[in-house]
Parts: sequence; C-alpha cells; structure tokens
Amino acid sequence: MMKYLDRLEELIISLLIGTATIVIFVAVLHRYSSGLPIPGVQDWLLTINMSWAQELCIYMFVWMAKFGAAYGVRVGIHVGVDVLVKQLPDFWKKKMIVVGILGGVLFTGIIGTLGAHFVWEVGMREAVATRFGFDWPDLIEGPISPDLELKMWLVYLAIPIGSYLMCFRFLQTLVTFIKTGCLPHHDIAHVDGIDDELYEGTDGLQPVVGDHQKGCKE
Amino acid sequence: MSALIIFSLLAVLMLTGMPISIALGLSVLTFLFALTQVPIEAVALKLFTGIEKFEIMAIPFFILAGNFLTHGGVAKRMIRFATALVGHLHGGLALGGVVACALFAAVSGSSPATVVAIGSILLPAMVKQGYPKSFGVGVIATSGGLGILIPPSIVMVIYAVSTNSSIGQLFIAGIIPGILLAMTLLTVTWIVARKRNYPRLPKASALEVFKAFKESIWGLALIFVVIGGIYSGLFTPTEAAAMSAVYAFFVSVYVYRDMGLKKVPQVLLASASMSSMLLYIITNAVLFSFLLTSEQIPQDLTAWMVGLGLTSVTFLIFVNILLLVAGNFMEPSSILLITAPLLFPMAMALGIDPIHLGIIMTVNMEIGMITPPVGLNLYVASGISKMGLTDTTKACAPWILVMLVYLTIITYIPQISLWLPNLLYK
Repeated sequence: MMKYLDRLEELIISLLIGTATIVIFVAVLHRYSSGLPIPGVQDWLLTINMSWAQELCIYMFVWMAKFGAAYGVRVGIHVGVDVLVKQLPDFWKKKMIVVGILGGVLFTGIIGTLGAHFVWEVGMREAVATRFGFDWPDLIEGPISPDLELKMWLVYLAIPIGSYLMCFRFLQTLVTFIKTGCLPHHDIAHVDGIDDELYEGTDGLQPVVGDHQKGCKE
Repeated sequence: MSALIIFSLLAVLMLTGMPISIALGLSVLTFLFALTQVPIEAVALKLFTGIEKFEIMAIPFFILAGNFLTHGGVAKRMIRFATALVGHLHGGLALGGVVACALFAAVSGSSPATVVAIGSILLPAMVKQGYPKSFGVGVIATSGGLGILIPPSIVMVIYAVSTNSSIGQLFIAGIIPGILLAMTLLTVTWIVARKRNYPRLPKASALEVFKAFKESIWGLALIFVVIGGIYSGLFTPTEAAAMSAVYAFFVSVYVYRDMGLKKVPQVLLASASMSSMLLYIITNAVLFSFLLTSEQIPQDLTAWMVGLGLTSVTFLIFVNILLLVAGNFMEPSSILLITAPLLFPMAMALGIDPIHLGIIMTVNMEIGMITPPVGLNLYVASGISKMGLTDTTKACAPWILVMLVYLTIITYIPQISLWLPNLLYK
C-alpha cells in the first residue's frame, strides 16, 4: 500500500516536469512555425491557439512543487541549518531533531487546514452544492483561470492535498526516527558512475557521514 | 521592534535544524497569529500565488537541462576540447578543468552541478597524472562557482524574481565578470603549477583541437540557444530554459548517445525533487517577505541606514560581510530570498545599480559554496574525490583568498558588471 503511494508520488512529479517541458517546447515551436509561409500548414497552425501554455505550465509546476516537497521530506532533500544541532551531545541532539520534525508537522498541518478552508470557500462549496443539489445559503461561484478557464479551486486544491501529504511524510519520518534513530538522508555528494577503484590506495579517506546515520540503510 | 522579533523567531527556529522553508513559514505564522490582525487565511493563498509567476518556472527547466547535460556526455567532450586548448601549459589538466568549468557554466545554471559534471571526470584523471588530490579538488570546487556567475544561472533567476529585476540583463551582466573570474583562476592555477612543476600534456595539433571542437559543438551550441535566444528576444528566459532542457535531452540521448532512454525517468525524478525543494523555499520566502513588507521593515531599515549617513562604499562592505557570514550557514537560494528584499531598497536609496547588486550577491554566494560548514561545492567535491570534508575544506582555503580579492574588485568597479548590459540594453 505504502509502496503504491510512494511510486504514485514519484510518477506524478516526474510526469509533471516532463509534460511541462514538452508543453512549453511545443508552444514555442508553434509560435515560430506558424510564422512560416507554408501553404496549407500555416493556416492550420494559425487555427491552433497555444496561449494557454504558460498558464498550464505554471499550474503543473505548482502541483509538482507541492507533491515534490512531500517527496522531498521522504528522501530528506529539505536542507536546514544543522551547524548547532551537530555540536550537541547525543541526548539533546535527538530532542532537537524531534522538535525540528514536529515543526514540519505543525506547519504543514496548519497550511493544509487553512488551504482546505480556503479552497472550500473559494468555489468548492458552490461546486459541491450544485453537484449534489444542496440548498446552502450564500453560494458564490469561484473565480476561473484566465486562459484555460479552469475552476480556480481545482487548481488551489494542490495546497491542502500537498500540505497534508507533506504532513503525513513528516509524521512518517518522526516515527522512523524514534524507532530506529535514522533520518532520510539525501546524499548530495553522491554521484553515479564514480569508480571507487580509481581511488583505491590513494589515501583511504572517505566522505564523512553524520553520526546518526551509522547503521542506517541508504 | 517587530523586525527584531521576526528575525529572532527565524533564528531560533532555524537553529533547531528544521528545514529552512519550514522555519520561514512557521515564523510568519507565529508572528501573524500572535501579534497582528492580518487575516491568517491570506497565508494559504500566498502559498499558491507566491510561485505563480512564469519567470520562476525557469528554475525547474534549468535544473532539468543541467541534469541531462551532466549525464549525457556533454561535459566529457567539453573537457576534451578544453584540455586540447590549454593542456600543453604547466598544470595542463587543471587549466583544462577551469576552462571546462567555464564552458559548462555557460550551459548550466548551478554550481554543484558544474563541479559534479567536470570534477567526476577530471579529478580521477588528475590524480592518475600525479597531481596532489587537494590541488585538483581546490581548483575544481572553486571553478565550479562559475556555474552561477556565467549565465544561465539559477541564483540570478532567484535574485531577479525577488527584486523584480530583468533576468536577461542580469544574465548579460554575468558574462564579463564570469570571464574575468575564469581568467583569474587560470592565472593563479598556472602560476602555482609552474612553481611546483605540475605535468604538462603533449601539445595538441590544430587538427586535434578542431576535432575536439567539432565533437563538443553540440554542447557549445547551447550557449547560443540560451544567451542568444534571450538577448535577441526570440525566447523569454523561461522558454529558453525549456528549450535548452529539450535540446539537452535530444543531444544526450540521440546525438551523443551517452544516456539511454531508460535513464530519463530517473533524471526527471531527480530534477523534479530538486526543483520542488527550491520552489518550496521560494514559496515560504515570499510569505516571509510579504510579512516584512506589511510590517514596513525594509522601509524602516532603509530610513535608519540613511539616517546613519552610510555611503555606498561602507554599505557594500556591510553587504559583503553579511552575505559571507550567512554563506556559512545557509545555501545560496535561501540567503538570497531572505536578504534581497531587505538589501534591495537600501541599495536603491544609495543609488547602487540593481544589476550590480545582483552580481555582487552572486559572487558572494559563490564564496559561500566553498566555505564550511554548508558549502555545497565542498560536499560535492568531497563526494567525488572521496576525500574527507575537512581535507576538502583545507584544499579550498587558499582559493577563498583569491575569491575575496576578486569580490573586492567586482564590488568597487561596477563597470565590470554594468558595461555590457548598458551597452546592449540602453
């Protein structure tokens, strides 16, 4: 179950960045190729309207950013200032790390709730009422995006979903840390294809790994 | 007063080691909730609208392009071309490394990526040729800094977005300081190499140089796609970034064939998560600067500074010290996002050119990348050289001095940064 969520998260953000790239690429190609006087083709190109591409790209990246931030918690990509914490004795270090993670839980939880409330007020309430025929007072139709004419509350839905997912990931991290003392660790220094043998016998020094990472799987 | 509260709150939260983005957001929430009447619901909307700008989207595209280039064999061919050019001099491979970093910087917008791309190929070769490893690490980690100075540059995009400056002008402004820094590093490397008699490579014939050039032409052409495209107005910076991502994909997979299609999802995922992390910091930093503005903090600080009678000379000293210190604790994008909204109005009040300030900040960030404990270039260089972080730091220490001299020159001779953009844009 967890595995599916993990894969889905990865799939969504990869697809979003890939598609956004293609969308902008096609939009630019279209802009210049429709200026070429090729009979037939030009008329056809001019009938296609690509003005929505920028807007779509922005929304895709906003969604990517929210899901990607949650994925980032899982793989430990969010950087903090750990200079002080590293100097502390083990007991206090653990306490501080827990406080840090709880800060994440708190913030994403609050933002998720605020976001959900906001989305509800800005059009979801009206949409739900219309869809199911509820007779609620003061129904106001939410705003619509300028080019794609999407309902904005659908776009804003990224905030509560993303934040709650992120909150969940922070909780997951907390549980793992308390149980095993391991944190997800994004090794920025890791590079594919570096041949370890090249360095054999040079001086035997290895990049240092944080103390709390000893005995944790990569 | 509120400035003091906000920044102490931020400092305390950051020192717990929580992600910077979270610390920024939490200090905003705490302050708004406890001390003001600003409707807290506005915060959720800001989280969305904070990054709802097309200019910001250049960042994920540049990251994606950089990742394709790193894995796709473009770096390898650039190194071959660079060593063919300068390899016959004293310390040939090291000089080739500096040139290759400069070339790669012109297609990639990130410093650590430049260090990885060039260093992972060149460092092993240097060690084999008998260079002391610390020398190679120092050269590569420092030259990698060119990645954010020579356009395109992710750091410049962030500065432009948070101060409403023109990305195109900043990019153009980075060209001459970038070349100057490359020249400086080449000179220092050459002098040291000559003194210590580091190995030279056999001189490449004109034909060999041409062959290496032809091989790397696909990568080099990208320089013109990005800079030429933006300057001529063919593309907006974001479009140029997207085009270079597609181009880099095409070259890596179909022209050089150093990367299989199978690897594409991996590259996409890595780029997406790196971009999301940056976008998340940006969102929360926007929230933070929204709070600063609504509390009138930049205005108050500016008025206070003008009252002190600071000149632009002393102000810039202060800016440099502040940024160098901050560079020891945070990574570049966070520093820029937090400090730019404060420093920018002050600099404007003193008549400092916004583009010049951008270049000064970028050079400061470069130095921050090779100073411990959070210099990204140090981590990356330590990873690819399998050398401990302490030793990597020691290896880079002499280079920090070179960079400081260079920073002084850039700070007090604004013409270096401003001549080209003024020539082209006015």
